[in-house]
Amino acid sequence: MNNAIAIAKKELNIYFATPIAYVMFTLFVVIGSYFFLRLLGAYEQASLAYMRFNAPEMMNRLNFQDAIFRNLFGNLGVILIFIVPFLTMRLLAEEKRQKTIELLYTTPVTPGQIVWGKYLASLAILVSALALTLTYPILVQLVAKDANGVEWRSVMLGYLGLFLMGAAYMALGLFISSLTESQVVAALITFVILLMTWIIGWSATEAEGWVRDFVTYLASVSHLDSFSRGTIDVKDIVYFLSLITLGLFATHRAVEAHRWS
Amino acid sequence: MIEVSHLLKSYRDLKAVSDVTFKVEKGEILGFLGPNGAGKTTTMRIITGALPPDSGTVKVAGFDVFENPMEVKRRIGYLPETPPLYVDMTVRAYLRFVAEIKGVPRKQRNGEVDRVAQKTNSDKFIERVIGNLSKGQRQRVGLAQALLGDPEVLILDEPTVGLDPAQIIEVRELIKSLAGRHTIVLSTHILPEVVTTCQRVLIISQGKVVADDTLQGLQRAQAGAVTADGHAGPAPSLEEIFLKLTSA
Repeated sequence: MNNAIAIAKKELNIYFATPIAYVMFTLFVVIGSYFFLRLLGAYEQASLAYMRFNAPEMMNRLNFQDAIFRNLFGNLGVILIFIVPFLTMRLLAEEKRQKTIELLYTTPVTPGQIVWGKYLASLAILVSALALTLTYPILVQLVAKDANGVEWRSVMLGYLGLFLMGAAYMALGLFISSLTESQVVAALITFVILLMTWIIGWSATEAEGWVRDFVTYLASVSHLDSFSRGTIDVKDIVYFLSLITLGLFATHRAVEAHRWS
Repeated sequence: MIEVSHLLKSYRDLKAVSDVTFKVEKGEILGFLGPNGAGKTTTMRIITGALPPDSGTVKVAGFDVFENPMEVKRRIGYLPETPPLYVDMTVRAYLRFVAEIKGVPRKQRNGEVDRVAQKTNSDKFIERVIGNLSKGQRQRVGLAQALLGDPEVLILDEPTVGLDPAQIIEVRELIKSLAGRHTIVLSTHILPEVVTTCQRVLIISQGKVVADDTLQGLQRAQAGAVTADGHAGPAPSLEEIFLKLTSA
């Protein structure tokens, strides 16, 4: 465990010594803020319209969670597809290209500790990126005239969903990075795979019966939605946890196998 | 200290190492010679546990590299052909990281980093980012990394590559000063380096051991043969012996 933490600290050191983490954080926040402002504007217009037509029952139904955060979390989830490949591409590909993996193979570190260390670092980066977006609910809370304000429980569940989905993406990205020596190839393949888990959901609307259920289950973004609504579904947790397990297990095998080549 | 027996390793149909057997006693410095592609690096990688062999065994300090890899790795400092450096880190951050994964206790870590940096003369650029260092400086950081944790066994793959003449002498003196307390396997292409630093010479060619003796022993064994070829002098130089044994 100590070795895993040492490796995680080393990875974080490199993340912040190179521009990659800063660039990705900036992208995440800039695009996230754009969506947030648009959703906020839509909320404002809706509430003005309801007031003008004097529709109190509609007013009551309008809340921050459904009008803003549910959509916002969905959008943030999609942005993750675009930034995760750039955060995981370096993790193992660069160690192989620079032959620094030789150092890890000849010091008392197990392949499992290498994988855990790298993964922990990527999770720390993910949490930092998500923490930056906490500004949105905090801002809403500060300016909200509504006595109920933000439903923090639902918002936090949304964040849990985003974290689990990001963690699953990171595990897949780490695995792809373990297969190649090229960061560009790692980023591209990871991006294509993550993109597939999103757009496969679109075909669900045309399908019927079990095919529809199956395709919906495969699509990663659909598993985020129940969290964004403020509920927990075991099915979704199982989906993300199995992706994480699969990614980490495959990475472990790949690191072991690389030593024999 | 190191016992290598009947080592075999091939990459696809290329035999890198075939049936290599040798021993290194505690405190000895072994000069490991051979032309490029003779299997030096492969042998060293197998000893350090970086590469599993096809067959044969390696024991370091009594521990088998494949049954007890952690015990072996704790006792070995290894400088590979290309120093394994993270170019985005500073020298100090890098050495601290290596000290940590080598299990140097937290309280001794700073002292240990300073010690190896001083020993290898890396302390002048310890706060700099590794990517901005010259080849010679990188080589010294690589050597510093191998010395961290004061391992009993040092495996050095061409430690003086890229150094200027003054630095080569420094590193040579450093290696000599480590003799006795450490067991060292040193691979190099610079033959005078072997003459000045090593007690024993092991020459491999095409994956096979062709000589394993002290320098004097080698000269004695080869003297007759060389003079019969018409060369003058009863004691052939290491160069002559090397060329003769590896040109087969």
